[in-house]
Amino acid sequence: MNLKRFGALTVVILLIVSLMAGCGGGTQETGKDTTGETEGAETVKIGFLGALTGDVAMYGQPTLEGMKMAVEEINAAGGIDGKMLEIVEDDNRGDKQEGAAITQKLISRDKVVAIVGDPTTGITKVAAPIANRNQVVLISAGSTGSGVVELGEYIFRDTLLDSVAIPALIDYFTGELGYKKVAVITSQNNDYSVGMTEVFKKAIEGKDIEIVADEKVNDGDKDFSGQITNIKSKNPDVIFYSGYYTEGALIMKEARKQGLDVNMFGGDGLYSPTLIELGGDAVEGSMVYVGFSPEQPTPETAAFIENFKAKYDDKTPGLFEAQGYDAVMILAEAMKRAGSTDPKVFRDEVANTKDFKGVSGTITFQENQEPIKSPVYLLEVKDGKYTLKKKVPVTVE
Amino acid sequence: MAEVLQSISNSIDPYILQIFVNIGIAIILALGLNLITGVTGQLDLGHAAYMSVGAFTAAIITINLNLPFSINLLIAGTIAALVGLAIGFPILRLTGDYFAIATLGFAEILKVVFLNLDITNRALGLSVPPANTTIPMPFYVWMITILVIVGVTFIQNSRFGRALKAIREDEIAAETMGINSTRYKNQAFAIGCFLAGIGGGLYAHFIAYINPSDFAFMKSIDILNMVVLGGLGSIPGAIVGASVLTVAPEFLRFMSEYRMLVYGALLVFLMVFRPNGLLGGVDFRKMVLRIFFGKKEKKPNVTIKAR
Repeated sequence: MNLKRFGALTVVILLIVSLMAGCGGGTQETGKDTTGETEGAETVKIGFLGALTGDVAMYGQPTLEGMKMAVEEINAAGGIDGKMLEIVEDDNRGDKQEGAAITQKLISRDKVVAIVGDPTTGITKVAAPIANRNQVVLISAGSTGSGVVELGEYIFRDTLLDSVAIPALIDYFTGELGYKKVAVITSQNNDYSVGMTEVFKKAIEGKDIEIVADEKVNDGDKDFSGQITNIKSKNPDVIFYSGYYTEGALIMKEARKQGLDVNMFGGDGLYSPTLIELGGDAVEGSMVYVGFSPEQPTPETAAFIENFKAKYDDKTPGLFEAQGYDAVMILAEAMKRAGSTDPKVFRDEVANTKDFKGVSGTITFQENQEPIKSPVYLLEVKDGKYTLKKKVPVTVE
Repeated sequence: MAEVLQSISNSIDPYILQIFVNIGIAIILALGLNLITGVTGQLDLGHAAYMSVGAFTAAIITINLNLPFSINLLIAGTIAALVGLAIGFPILRLTGDYFAIATLGFAEILKVVFLNLDITNRALGLSVPPANTTIPMPFYVWMITILVIVGVTFIQNSRFGRALKAIREDEIAAETMGINSTRYKNQAFAIGCFLAGIGGGLYAHFIAYINPSDFAFMKSIDILNMVVLGGLGSIPGAIVGASVLTVAPEFLRFMSEYRMLVYGALLVFLMVFRPNGLLGGVDFRKMVLRIFFGKKEKKPNVTIKAR
């Protein structure tokens, strides 16, 4: 018994030791300084807040990749008045408590002047009060929910907001496409979806389009026959689904099965190759709007895509890479304009960002810190691929 | 007083302070569950749900009424206890696995209710303004944590606590000895939920943004993990379990992507070699006596070994 126990103990210890040794190589790189100079007062630190592991790593990873590229380019061009930029990265697993701890760590231990992240609304809302209290600029590269920038004057975001995109598209839908009756589907356990439906309902007020069906689903549902039956009886011109791609694909499959021959449209939550993989023919004709598309790029975007492919083994950058890149660029511009790397000083210049030619569109921060991004890309699934259907410019009111 | 505490908390690294607050909240939650699962022996898989009741109650009170934080927490705890009682009253008649499944079911129901109520802002969640208190949060949390530790120690060593242990060991035998097991179980459940409510209220104000999805099944499992790892029924065990599991992810941060792998390996490792938990089966009082006064145990050790 003792021998057996000893044997098992040895095995487990060996396992742990080998694991630690195995990742020893990576240890020096991650969690610490990844780019630029490592020592000296001449560096300006920017914190990355996001998930590198876990359920939402698919947003965190690309954001960080985009950020790293931006930092490299800035440093290659001489940094900010001679000071090199540097990213401090830490993984929060998509966990709120860890997100709060990391935000605090970035500010008090690593002394970052700005934080980029988190790509999700939930953790941004946790991190924002901490950043604001400590007077550190936070740019969320991804959060779209309501009530984020209201949390403080140091909080910004560079995402395409549903409240910007939907009103811009409504006229195109009612006019050119001639939609008069829309069936709305909301995923009620998804904060993104609930928020977007609210925006949509507000946007169509007074427009020549009416909601004929208002159905609720849940993330994780597999069977949508009840909702589709109900929608079919109302005879809509189009289905608006505000949730994510998995359910979106299944909804369209059910619709086609029941012979409901209308298209679906939604936000960037539907924008994923998985939608097409799962939906197949059923999602043909479905439309999504996004703030970034590799098609019809501006010169800035074209250069970004080319450089990104060169750096990351021919990988095509997506929305999050572009937003992470833009967030760092906005910060760098503001620091240069302000001539200071003190967040209390360059915060005003961040707020003054106007017509910034980013790779994810032209960005302007409004008086209330909310961004206006132009243009909005409406993509359509055609022959199993996302293709550009319409590029709608957004005008600042 | 408040200024002194404020200046003390300003001089400590906020990152460390933050982790300490997380530990404090985890201890409160773990001790609540320990009373239900560890001491009374009722496997509760929905503890996060009572935490969510406390969190949302406290958040709504702060947003709408802005009562003093202590009163706010007391109300949050009481409402969580009442909800716990309403749930516990019918399902505490079930035993073992059936009870566990029922708690799981009710936890899901509560989550769905919060997802659909306007007052909890449905799936969008609530942003919580700072608590109405002059005492800095870290001190506040730890004052309550210490109060809770003292409180549950008192409960566990009282006649009431011994009755709960009797129910855990053998419910039928306990009833024969005149213990009203239904009543005692309900009381223990209500106290556990009360603590969960307090923990939830603190969590809501510390994290400043809550969402019904935060209090899903995995959160319940996290708390249960702390209790089982520390040792079922042991108060020092629950404290150590909560501390270790809260600190581990931060402590293991240096190994980046591999850290959750090691975290899992640690759990397996502990359960293989300490199946009773870190401090399970350790009589803390006797140990302290032995260390400080060199007293030997009079009775032979009656702890049941797992193997």
